[in-house]
Amino acid sequence: MMSPALFLLALITLVPFFSIIWMSFNNVSLMGGLTLEFSGLDNWRRVFTDPDIRASWLISLVYFLATVGLEMLIGTVMALLVYSLRRGSNIIISLLLIPMFIAPVIVGLLGRFMLDPSHGLYAWILNETGLFDGNILGSVGSAMTAVILMDVWEWTPLVALIVLAGLTSVPEDTLEAAEMDGANYRQKLLYIILPSISNILLVALLIRAMDAIRFFAIIFITTNGGPADSTKIIPIRLYDIAFRFFDLGYAAAVGITMLVFSILVANAFTKLLKRRESAS
Amino acid sequence: MTPAKRWLPFTLKIALLTLLLLWTLIPILWMVLSSFKPNSIITASTPRLLFTPTLEHYATLFSGGNSLWPYLTNSLLIAGTSTLIAVVLGCMAGFGLSRIRIKGKQHLAFWIISTRMAPIAAVIVPLYLLFRYLYLLDTHVGLIVAYLSFNLPFAIWLMTAFFDDLPPDLEEAAMIDGATKWQAFRLVVLPLMTPGLVTTAILCFIFAWNDYAFAQTFSGPGTQTIPIAAAQLLTQTGIDWGKLLAIGTIVVCPMAIAGLLVKRWLVKGLTLGAVK
Repeated sequence: MMSPALFLLALITLVPFFSIIWMSFNNVSLMGGLTLEFSGLDNWRRVFTDPDIRASWLISLVYFLATVGLEMLIGTVMALLVYSLRRGSNIIISLLLIPMFIAPVIVGLLGRFMLDPSHGLYAWILNETGLFDGNILGSVGSAMTAVILMDVWEWTPLVALIVLAGLTSVPEDTLEAAEMDGANYRQKLLYIILPSISNILLVALLIRAMDAIRFFAIIFITTNGGPADSTKIIPIRLYDIAFRFFDLGYAAAVGITMLVFSILVANAFTKLLKRRESAS
Repeated sequence: MTPAKRWLPFTLKIALLTLLLLWTLIPILWMVLSSFKPNSIITASTPRLLFTPTLEHYATLFSGGNSLWPYLTNSLLIAGTSTLIAVVLGCMAGFGLSRIRIKGKQHLAFWIISTRMAPIAAVIVPLYLLFRYLYLLDTHVGLIVAYLSFNLPFAIWLMTAFFDDLPPDLEEAAMIDGATKWQAFRLVVLPLMTPGLVTTAILCFIFAWNDYAFAQTFSGPGTQTIPIAAAQLLTQTGIDWGKLLAIGTIVVCPMAIAGLLVKRWLVKGLTLGAVK
């Protein structure tokens, strides 16, 4: 039963895995056919000394903390709001979920449309209210804010959906007992609701952490790392190295550092699952 | 309304929810609405809500030399095939993994989940080299394999989670009554697995349909998918917004509907079975 799937998975994951490791120790050239020339630790030395790479990791970190942080916060508030509704929560959550089915590349294109300096709806609103007057995706700072908000727009619903699922398991009778004893909402939130969904919040955090480093299409299509490299997160940098400069050996080394990060997240995820299994 | 749920003044709560709904829906509604506007209104300096709707952008998309049809068939073929393979193999493997008791199972599970979580940018590099070497660039097979790299582990993992929820007593009872293992699986287990299969299939299809990075790197003139058609409209000379918004609407609407169809199992699917 298992062998066909596992065999195919091994084929399409292990072959690339060993290839990327081998590539990282070589100079890969595509000129006049494919040639690999062993270069030892050259690529690896560059990965750890290249200031551009360091800058990109830093931008990635800012992007990651801002997007995942805002998504967790707004998503939790969204879920608590929907949870507290007496009627219509079903239709409201359905409407709120729509952004996460949208292809990231379309989110980026839609962002460009809404922020277009000459006829974008949001650009017009910001301009009319005097909040921001200028080329949003073309200026350092506002471009980063814009791509962060596009990611937040797309993925907050996912956090809300997961947290909402967790909220259904909050013990109602405990809440009512606390109510009897005169607890206010803040106390109930802090001492009953949040502790009972802490595990779920962690699942949401890990799922977002894993996707935050997986996707890069929004930035790819809106700013492609610009202006002045201010939104050049590590996947965009890697794509540049690989397909603009065709330095595939070096790109492989950068790719492996990214893989290490995702393996750490995967490890945390499986540990969390195991803990939940032994708890239930 | 249980008193336990009362925490904000009612008006403030409604105001907050309205704000979140507006934030979420305005871009989508604006995209769909603007795709029916003539170009002169789209590019006007002030936004317009009232206009005479036109189907011109959709009409030009599906006629003439550079029509959307080939992109659409490529998308359907590639996303569909990768989904089919992932779901069939994932279902078999999921059943096996769920029922088997072996040492080192958690290592196997960890390997499967790591492949699913691998960053696309890092996967692209070795795949590009291999595809170039094997002449798989600009082929349907190449893109199907690329999508299987994330859809297959996803399907295996998710189907395992669905099978874990189904007590093995049922198929055991069927086997006691004389059914073979295969019959028990086909006649007893599979019918109960419909939600799991449909959810897995829809999510796999959405992931493949929505991909841009792989398609941008591996596809060529004969294999470009719809997201590529959308991106191609961003030219130096100016952007044909009307066409772009129409393509956006075509990409988004079917996936939103499909996704909401399996809303009940969405949490399970998107958390890889971690949350029921």
